Amino acid sequence: MAAASRLRSFILVGLLPALLLYLIFVLVPIVWSAFYGFYEWKGIGAAKFLGLANYTEALRDPIFWKALKNNLIIVAASIFGQIPIALVLSLVLWKSSWFHRFVRSAVFMPMVLASVVIGIMWGYIYHPQIGIVNYVLDKAGLHSWIRDWLGDPKINMYAVCAPIIWANIGPYMILFIAAIQNISSEVEDAAKIDGAIGYKRLYLIVVPMIWDTIKVAIVLCISGSLKAFDLIYVMTGGGPAQSTELLATYMYNNTFNIFRYGYGSAVSTLIIVISMSLVLGSQLLMKRK
Amino acid sequence: METTTPTRATTGEFKPGAGFGTLFKLLRRVRSWAGNAFLAAYAVATLYPLIWLFISSFKSNQDFFGKPFALPSTWQFENYAKAWKVAGIGTALGNSVIVTFLSLALTLLAGTLAAYILSRLSFRLKGLVMALFVLGMLIPIHSTLVPLFIMMKKIGILDTYAALILPYTAFELPVAIFVVAAYLTSVPKEVEEAAMIDGNGYWGIFFRVIFPLSVPAMATVAILAFLRFWNDFAFALVFINKQALKTLPLSLAVFSDGFGTDYSLTMAAMSIAVIPTVVIYLVFQEQIMKGMVAGAVKG
Repeated sequence: MAAASRLRSFILVGLLPALLLYLIFVLVPIVWSAFYGFYEWKGIGAAKFLGLANYTEALRDPIFWKALKNNLIIVAASIFGQIPIALVLSLVLWKSSWFHRFVRSAVFMPMVLASVVIGIMWGYIYHPQIGIVNYVLDKAGLHSWIRDWLGDPKINMYAVCAPIIWANIGPYMILFIAAIQNISSEVEDAAKIDGAIGYKRLYLIVVPMIWDTIKVAIVLCISGSLKAFDLIYVMTGGGPAQSTELLATYMYNNTFNIFRYGYGSAVSTLIIVISMSLVLGSQLLMKRK
Repeated sequence: METTTPTRATTGEFKPGAGFGTLFKLLRRVRSWAGNAFLAAYAVATLYPLIWLFISSFKSNQDFFGKPFALPSTWQFENYAKAWKVAGIGTALGNSVIVTFLSLALTLLAGTLAAYILSRLSFRLKGLVMALFVLGMLIPIHSTLVPLFIMMKKIGILDTYAALILPYTAFELPVAIFVVAAYLTSVPKEVEEAAMIDGNGYWGIFFRVIFPLSVPAMATVAILAFLRFWNDFAFALVFINKQALKTLPLSLAVFSDGFGTDYSLTMAAMSIAVIPTVVIYLVFQEQIMKGMVAGAVKG
C-alpha cells in the first residue's frame, strides 16, 4: 500500500511541472482565444460581448483574404522552390566525402540563423539604393530591371519568397538523402540495366520510390509557411499598403497596433482552424492518391 | 548535375570498344569537374549572405555603400564596440543568455522527469497525457500570441523574464519529452531494479540513475532548444517592451527599417547575435541536421 501511494505521489508531483506549464501556456490560450473572439476589448476596462461579429468582420475583410492568399503564395513557393532544389541536391550530394559534407553544411546553414537576422540581411540585399541586387543589375547594364524589390506591390510578395526558400532547403535535402539511401540496391541495379540513368532515373525510379517522403515534404511546406511571420515582419511589416500581409502579421497589426484584442483573438482562432484544415486536408488528399 | 553520381560512371562499363575507354574516362572526369564546380559555386552562393554580413561588419559606411563586394579598406573593429555600447547589444546579449539558459534548464528538468514517468511507469490517464502533448506539436505558435498576451497581462508577468521563459519551456516540452522518452526505452529495466535494491526511492532512481543516463538525449534536445530560444522573435516582440529586458533578436529588429541607420553598426550587432549559433552549428552539425529533420517530420 505504502509503495503504491509513493508511486502515485511520484507520478503526480513529477508530471505536474511539465503538465501545468504546458496546459497554461499552450492549450488554455487556444481555448481562450476562441472565447475572447466573441468580445470587444481595448486592453483596459470591461469587455463587451459581440457574438460572432469579430469572426464575420474578419471573413468580410478583403485584407484578410489577401493575407490568406499571400500565405498560399509562400506555400506554393516552398513546394515549387524548396522541394525541387532539395531533390536535385539530394541526388548529387549523397557522398560522405569532405566536399559533399561541406556543401550540405552550407545548404543547411541558414536554418540556424535568427529569422530577424535573415530578414534584415535580405532587406539590405533588396534595398533600392544600397542593395547588392540593384548594384549587380546596375553594373551588368540591366538598368530596366532595377526596382524597389520590397516596395513594389506587384513583385514584393515574390521577392520575400527568395529568402524563405534559401533558408529552408536544408532539412528537405537531408530528408530526401535519407529516403534515397533507403531505395533498395536491387531496384537501382535493375533500373540501371534497363537504362534508367540520369533524368530517367530521377523520374522513373527516385521520385516514385520516395513519393511518400515527398508527400511529407509537401505537408511540411504547408505548415512551415505559417512560420514566415518573423521574416515578413522584419522585411516589410506587411506593407506597403498591406501588400505583403500574412495571416499572422494581419493578426499582429490588428491586435497590437490598434489594440483590438477581441478581434485579434478571433483572427488567431481562424488561423488555427485554417492551418489545421490545410494540414489535415493535404494529408487526406495525399493519402488518397 | 547528375553526372557526379556513380550511376553514370558505372554505366560507362557497358559501352563497347576499348579504344573509346580513355575518351569516355576523360569525358566523365570533365563532367564530374563541371558538376563539382557547380556545387562549389552553389555552396558559396548559399553562404554568401553570411560572409557578406561578417565582412560588412568591419567596414565603414562609405565602403558598405560604395564597394559592397570588396574587403574593407580599413578594418573597423570599433563597429563592434559601438554596437555593444551604443546599440545596447551588450545588455541584449545578457538578456538572451539569461532567458535561453533558464528556459533550457527548466525544459530539461521538467521534460526529462515527465519523459521518465511517461515511458517507464504505468498509470491511468497516461494515454490522455501523451495525446495532449502530441496535440501541442500541431498548434501554430503565432496563434497563441494574442491569448498569451492577454493572460500574462492579467496575471502581471508581461515585461519580465518569466514572460519568455515559461512559454519557451511550455512549447519545447513536447519535443523534449518525446526525444528523451524514445531514448529511455533503450535503457534496460534492470538498471532501475538495481537502483531500487540499493535502497533508492523513485526520486532517487530518477536523479541518481535516469537523469545522468539521459544526458545524450538531453544534449540533442538542448542544442535544438538553444537555437529556438536564442533566435525567437515573435514571443519577445509581443511580451517584452522594456528596453532593459530586450533579447538580441528584438534589439536587432529596431534596425530593420533600413533607412537612416548606421549600417556597419547594424552589421556588427547582427554578427554578435549570429556568432554563437554559427559556432554551435559548426560543432554539432550532424546532430542539428538530424534533430531538425526528425522534429519537423514528427511535428
